[in-house]
Amino acid sequence: MPELTYREAVRDALSTAMRQDDDVFIMGEDIAEMGGSMGVTAGMLEEFGSERVRNTPISEMALAGAAIGAAMQGMRPVAEIMYEDFMTLAAEQVVNQAAKLRYMSGGQLTVPVVFRTQGGAGWSPGAQHAQQLEAWFVHIPGLKVVFASTPEDVRGLLWSAIYDDNPVVFFEHRTLYPIKGDVPTEIEPIPIGRARVHRQGEDVTVIATGRLVHASLEAAEKAESDGISVEVVDPRTLQPLDEETLVSSVKKTNRAVVAHEAVTRMGFGAEVAAVLQYRAFDWLDAPIERVGAKFSPLPFAPVMENFVVPHAADVLDAIKRTVGKA
Amino acid sequence: MATEVILPRLGQGMESGTIVRWLKSEGEPVAKGEPLFELDTDKVTQEVEAEASGVLLKIAVSAGEVPVGETVAFIGEAGEDVPEVAGIAPASPAPVEARNSLLQAKEEPAPVATPSGNGRIKASPLARRLARERGIDLATLRGTGPEGRIVADDVSGAEAGTTVEAAASNSLLQAAPVPSGQVERVPLTNIRRTIARRLTEAWQIPVFQLQASADMTRVNALVARLRERDPDVRITVTDVLTKVCAQALMRHREVNAEFTEEAILIHPSANVGLAVAAPQGLVVPVIHGAERLSVVEIAHVRADLVGRARENKLRAEDLEGGTFTISNLGMFAVQSFTAVLNPPQAAIVAVGATEDRVVPVAGGTAVRPMVTLTGTFDHRAVDGAPAAAFLQSSKESLEDPGLAL
Repeated sequence: MPELTYREAVRDALSTAMRQDDDVFIMGEDIAEMGGSMGVTAGMLEEFGSERVRNTPISEMALAGAAIGAAMQGMRPVAEIMYEDFMTLAAEQVVNQAAKLRYMSGGQLTVPVVFRTQGGAGWSPGAQHAQQLEAWFVHIPGLKVVFASTPEDVRGLLWSAIYDDNPVVFFEHRTLYPIKGDVPTEIEPIPIGRARVHRQGEDVTVIATGRLVHASLEAAEKAESDGISVEVVDPRTLQPLDEETLVSSVKKTNRAVVAHEAVTRMGFGAEVAAVLQYRAFDWLDAPIERVGAKFSPLPFAPVMENFVVPHAADVLDAIKRTVGKA
Repeated sequence: MATEVILPRLGQGMESGTIVRWLKSEGEPVAKGEPLFELDTDKVTQEVEAEASGVLLKIAVSAGEVPVGETVAFIGEAGEDVPEVAGIAPASPAPVEARNSLLQAKEEPAPVATPSGNGRIKASPLARRLARERGIDLATLRGTGPEGRIVADDVSGAEAGTTVEAAASNSLLQAAPVPSGQVERVPLTNIRRTIARRLTEAWQIPVFQLQASADMTRVNALVARLRERDPDVRITVTDVLTKVCAQALMRHREVNAEFTEEAILIHPSANVGLAVAAPQGLVVPVIHGAERLSVVEIAHVRADLVGRARENKLRAEDLEGGTFTISNLGMFAVQSFTAVLNPPQAAIVAVGATEDRVVPVAGGTAVRPMVTLTGTFDHRAVDGAPAAAFLQSSKESLEDPGLAL
């Protein structure tokens, strides 16, 4: 089994799709010569040429609109939005156009576009370059939303996103690009809408996304030494949500923690908690704990940033509260 | 607009039910799904859950027999007007209050759950469900969770005794005052009436009895071994008997039958009923599809059913669908007996005590643990030979349990 970094895994999905399918192309700000601000598309200009690896003007609204237009015409574009903070600029196109056109045309139009974007704290990028805005897009009917946390998942899910006939907003996490992981030799598409149980446990289920999947696995290890058996589940796709897997896990463990880097207020974890309390109400033996960033713009000062966003220790505290050992 | 609480139909053929007691008093808040009152039908006593949330505004029928569909209470918003219900005396919440005060007095020395300001006990949803299912009063438990919350472990660790005490105090309250030296009148409960009616019907059926004894040496060894391997549930001879009879029924399906005026119905699955002496009278909860269950699985189902039968917590579905019955009086040192048929089933087996008897073995004698089975069969549905073959098959499997595989 080959080992790839998360960054290479994204690139591998894009390149493999482009090699076998002329309809797939990528566009975005500085993705060609520069290889993207995170280096994800490095080297792709040389292989595929400037027709298929397209630099765009610095206008997220314009590039999102162009990608949507190409998708409506039968292409499968993958548009890179450099920081998910900038998804706010593309929001009109993504929310009002991409998400609605299939519905409003009575199915005459499809918009098989992917908006790849990334964010996340941990490297002091400040308040405008590190937010986690996935919840904004989960709120929009007509969009699918993916947030992958491992090289294997990011490659298999990006593949499924490219070949999905609906617009997909595809979140990557800045701090995960260098992590390494085994991937299948051939790309194995991972179905959208299926969660992954990273670790089996009996006492509490931690449902985590993005960087917090890794933080939760670390917390689970520590909890184990305190005699607490933790199950860690990554939904991987936030919309549609694999409720069955989450609910059945919580029915087994009777306790739940939801964890993400975004602020807890109206965060994705709030929705998960609502689903769990409704579908597993009579199985819950403790309040559902939420782990997320404090309700603050992200500070630039590293020590302050570190204070605002959640870490493994916060997940561990939450785990202990659910089992009454805090 | 207040919501009417209607006496529900809990099973086919139910025409009326008897309200035993209310679990909420007038003026108390009620959430949809919370147990509202206890209803005695001819089969079970069951808690009826609220269909709506709000305040229990009025109890229209505090106790007694009520036809299905009748309005028995109203749930609505506090202070809301309630329509008059003709011909029904205003209910008194007194019994519930009396019960609570009695319980509190009894429990005083024990540290119990501290109700929060509004009198509500803090308990997790899981703990509430477990307590409801096991008939444990949360007020008798001590919470060990954060802020004194009762969690599942507290319910699991609760002594079964608390329930029994609570039940005993209830029956104390309900018992009719009896002057000493007089003939005691025990009013018929619905369950007693049903027992009387069904057994009288059964007596008119032409039945015959067959008897066989089996050497239980291997069953005893098997039970000992299973108990060792599976300490979670206490496996009993009855569990093995259930399995053995279920297999024999599937081999001799004529016995797993029901006589009707038009046809004899042969059932596809062995749903084995177990006669259980519950405090309220004889009940026969059913182990469905026993031929497909392992002995250990049967033990788990049996333990659950018998436990709930003794707590009067059986549901209608626990009692329905039986195709055959086992009545075991072995624990009372009864050598053998004949059971009365449990219609519409065509067969019942009465099981006596397993006791050491001298038996002929290979020209000599030996002492062996022996049991005597007495089958009672509906001759309209089953003839002697298939019934005998069924009994023989059961005997052989008891003597060599591997044969039931």
